[in-house]
Amino acid sequence: MMKKVVKPIIRHLVLALLAVIWLIPIVWLLATSFSSYQGINISHFFPEKFTFNNYLMLFGAADTVAQFPRWFMNTFVIAIFTCIISTCFVLMVAYATSCMRFKARKPLMNVGIILGMFPGVLSMIAVYFVLKSIGLTNSHFGMVLVYSAGSGLGYLIAKGFFDTIPVSLREAAKLEGASEATIFTKIVIPLSGPIIVYTVISSFLSPWMDFVYAKLILNSGISTDWTVAIGLYNMLDRSLINTYFSRFCAGGVLVSIPISALFVIMQKFYVEGVTGGSVKG
Amino acid sequence: MKSVVKKIGNIFRNFGESVAKGNLWVKLSLIIMGAGYLGVGQVAKAVLMTVVEAVFVLYMLLVGVPYLSKFGTLGTVQYKSEFNFATMKNEVNNYDHSFMILLFGVITIILIVAFLCIYIANMIYVYKLQKRKEQGIVINSFKKDLRSLFNERFHITILALPVMGVVVFTIVPLIIMIAVAFTNYDQNHMPPAALFTWTGVENFKNLITTSTTITFGYSFGKVIVWTFVWAFFATFTTYFGGILMAKFINNPKTKVQKLWRTLFVVTIAVPQFVSLLLVRYFFANTGIVNTICSQIGVTDFLTKIGLVREGLGYIPFLSSPGWAHFMIIMINIWVGVPYQMLIATGVLMNIPNDLMESAKIDGASSFQIFKSITMPYMLFVTGPSLITQFIGNINNFNVIYLLTQDVYKTTDQLLANSSAKEVDLLVTWLFRLTSEQYNYKMASVIGCVVFVICAIFTLIAFRRMTAGDKEESFQ
Amino acid sequence: MKKKLLAVLMATALVATALTGCGDKKPQDGGNNGGGSASDPVEALIASTDGPVTLSVWAAEEDQDMVKGWCDAFAAQYPEVTFNFSVGVQSESTAKDTILTDPEAAADVYSFAGDQLQDLVRAGALQPVVIHTDEVIARVGGADSGAAQAATVNGTLYAYPATADNGYFMFYNKEYFTEEDVKTLDTMMKIAADNGKKITMQYDSGWYNLSFFIGAGFELTLNEDGTNNCNWNGTSADGIAGVDVAQAMLDIATNPGFVSLTDAEFVTGIKEGSIIAGVNGTWNATAAAEAWGDNYAATCLPTYTCAGKQVQMASVAGYKMFGVNAYTANSGWAMLLAEYFTDEAQQIQRFELREAGPANVAAASSPAVQANPAIAALALQSQYAILDGCESSNYWSPTESFGAILAGGNADGTSLQTLLDNMVDGITQ
Repeated sequence: MMKKVVKPIIRHLVLALLAVIWLIPIVWLLATSFSSYQGINISHFFPEKFTFNNYLMLFGAADTVAQFPRWFMNTFVIAIFTCIISTCFVLMVAYATSCMRFKARKPLMNVGIILGMFPGVLSMIAVYFVLKSIGLTNSHFGMVLVYSAGSGLGYLIAKGFFDTIPVSLREAAKLEGASEATIFTKIVIPLSGPIIVYTVISSFLSPWMDFVYAKLILNSGISTDWTVAIGLYNMLDRSLINTYFSRFCAGGVLVSIPISALFVIMQKFYVEGVTGGSVKG
Repeated sequence: MKSVVKKIGNIFRNFGESVAKGNLWVKLSLIIMGAGYLGVGQVAKAVLMTVVEAVFVLYMLLVGVPYLSKFGTLGTVQYKSEFNFATMKNEVNNYDHSFMILLFGVITIILIVAFLCIYIANMIYVYKLQKRKEQGIVINSFKKDLRSLFNERFHITILALPVMGVVVFTIVPLIIMIAVAFTNYDQNHMPPAALFTWTGVENFKNLITTSTTITFGYSFGKVIVWTFVWAFFATFTTYFGGILMAKFINNPKTKVQKLWRTLFVVTIAVPQFVSLLLVRYFFANTGIVNTICSQIGVTDFLTKIGLVREGLGYIPFLSSPGWAHFMIIMINIWVGVPYQMLIATGVLMNIPNDLMESAKIDGASSFQIFKSITMPYMLFVTGPSLITQFIGNINNFNVIYLLTQDVYKTTDQLLANSSAKEVDLLVTWLFRLTSEQYNYKMASVIGCVVFVICAIFTLIAFRRMTAGDKEESFQ
Repeated sequence: MKKKLLAVLMATALVATALTGCGDKKPQDGGNNGGGSASDPVEALIASTDGPVTLSVWAAEEDQDMVKGWCDAFAAQYPEVTFNFSVGVQSESTAKDTILTDPEAAADVYSFAGDQLQDLVRAGALQPVVIHTDEVIARVGGADSGAAQAATVNGTLYAYPATADNGYFMFYNKEYFTEEDVKTLDTMMKIAADNGKKITMQYDSGWYNLSFFIGAGFELTLNEDGTNNCNWNGTSADGIAGVDVAQAMLDIATNPGFVSLTDAEFVTGIKEGSIIAGVNGTWNATAAAEAWGDNYAATCLPTYTCAGKQVQMASVAGYKMFGVNAYTANSGWAMLLAEYFTDEAQQIQRFELREAGPANVAAASSPAVQANPAIAALALQSQYAILDGCESSNYWSPTESFGAILAGGNADGTSLQTLLDNMVDGITQ
């Protein structure tokens, strides 16, 4: 009898303990974002005085260091275009490799997978000069290109999904005289809702996370051109951290809100994405 | 391998045959690419091909040849600038920019190869058209050709843009990075003020040399070992941690499963550059965790058992070798386990129930079920992504850079002399060599190593993936 | 190698005279102001300008509003010319990192810390000052002045000194220390330890820890190819062995009254009360004054005990400067703008807003500047200071590591001579 009561309690206690460990830094982020002390408070976990000021300053009192509304808009616009182009590219490559048969298919797929594993940091200087030679540094369009041009390499997940669409559907359409283009747009796309959502959200998120390329390409120093990531990263500069740390935290919280919303939506499709569509409910 | 050689041989034989046996129109196509189409009455195509040719020739004359002719030396004319008091402006000579020569040289070579392919294919094709006409077979109209781009040749249409994007933003930069590894591009040779040039394999030799002045060999050994140790632990701790957590939460005895799951997932909703930078200050030498630890006596305790050096007064979470390595892996668990938990949850829900039931009836313990049903199924489904994650961790720039940049100071002098740190991965070392030392040549050599490692592991992974290729079986 | 040398020579051929290291590099008076034009350069400039002039400026985050105001005031001086200014953010301490990635994309006029001058010049990112050269030099105290020398490479003036405060000295809390106490580090550390407090200095930074070596009479000079000469593992001109300096540093590091902290940690420490004195610069003067109130004081660095002797700690006399990008399309106007930014009135304004010590002699002699404790301390320290800009790009990482090892108490027990040898190998590579 005792055992039956104690065991579930222990189970939930362990979970609660883990949850606390996982949440402590997040709570610190939230607490600090409401702190009236602007630097890093090292003697108290919770601020001594709470204030809403950091948020108000991010929106109301924009200075050259903190242009949060502008950064948010810039990142949003870049993210929208990145996600449109990326999603198109991914779906197109996935359709070509999954549903069509042509001579160069296998070699293309092999090369694509190897290149897809290649981290962007490695060749960033070359990418910078490529952009510069077509005059697209310091432009948001250039950023969109950098984020989306190589996105076709991430086709594997979508291809895995397309592979599971019964071939009979396409055959039937062909017999009725539909062209490949029609099959792609009218049959395959409408069936691939989950994978589209997955691709859209994951490509939408990348401009919010990247600070390496953004810093390199948006190098005019005009802070209104920045994205959220560089802007917030800049607040931790040696000379700024003691006055901007709590605002950095407030900015971090604000960015997390839309991202978590998207994440909750994506959660359902995420599994399917990572396991290549092989899991069917 | 043999078949590839054979295929290429075939192409050239066909090309030769076309030139030899083609009629005047076909032969004229050697010079004006559209001529062959005129011969069979396809005016639109003739114009199109000729325009392509003209654009290519124009590009070669204006850009390609000037740059390509300097490709061998990467430029010889040093930048010179003098202030002109009459115009009150700088007057600059017609100097060579080594990087631009390299860049456009590579682009031009790619264009030449592409053009040659089109050129040869064009010859073979117009000869085919000629034969068709002679045999009286209907030749597709231009309109029909266009339409085929949306049907049997639809793949060309949809692959064109994505492939172009990859060529310009992935392949060209990659080739340039490899090329830079064979030059002396560093802080003393930075264009436009200075020129750099080819130096052969010297940089590769330096990477494996350890002497009083060059310590790259020593650093390379240390960094690559840690890169693999890190990738191994980072991948497996989060993988198994995720599965265990998923099992634990999904157990029917756990109440309010959704709430628990959400609590853990909150951490991944915060972008890494925020959460990791935050954690970096959280665990700083004078950070809040250290304050609390010393208040409740943890620091003293750790000092007593020898984990913290006597007299230090704080726990060097992210600033001394052993501690930092341990903490980085722990923090990565914090970041990575929720992701894996989500995936594992999805996969676990799909294990066929009858399998489990029959195992239970046979009297298998829950551990036995986990070992012989759950794990094999998990590995089967997520195996390929495990290797992908391993490669991802080899290149996990974010976690290492955000946690240790500006905080971790190496105490290994040989590492310091080549700007490496104990906690560096190959990619973070490479990044700091470029962004702080402008040592592009050595960074590129390291980049080449990373690329080879990635390619090897990807090939292994891909063979597994094709072995379990389900593309045909489902269809 | 020969080819490289030739290239460097050609790049600086304008006035290449004696190619010497840091110590001796006076600008040549009027060396390149000739050009054969007797007329006033400003008039020539206005005459040769048609159409609007676009200029971009980079300044530190905190200076943005001030610099924008200056741009407008500058434009008002030349009503006949239309200017388009854009002011961007670039932290002075990391300006080099951004500029060297692509000098052509950098701003036309930018602000940077003096230690970056050598690298910027070698990368061809700085335009030699050819308009009003003599006046610029005269305003900072002539060709022999530290400011002019710090902005000069091989006899050519490359930048406009704006502040003379990029060095360090000792902040202390008068509640704990008397003026006599702060003369030796030993006394200071003892008082701090007795009170359960700490004094601080950043050990793991080559910029700070050269203080011990230079103070003991060691040298650090720059070769013309950008590499360093360094004799810290040998014996100094004053007859002090490098090992003794290292041992002294180690003793200080392990003293209970001392801790090595970074800049940001120093500020947190004084606000929180655990730090009662520290080696730092004017940029943290406001923070220290706020934290300590009436007890706030500053003075030159103390002496430290080295092989039984008292040795005065040296420092770096650093300058912040405005430079003109060598790739600007409007070099004439950019030079005038940089000159305007560093005029007396602007330097005084900068002092009033930011407590930045002026490089301009007239501005520096104003009563308000003279009365500032931090700037007074810096002036006192300047007699023991060496000029900034002697550090090659290979200098920072080895010295950082060396400082970190000593700050950690040399945990491995490696012989100090080995540590010094490794560091010097790294610096001179």
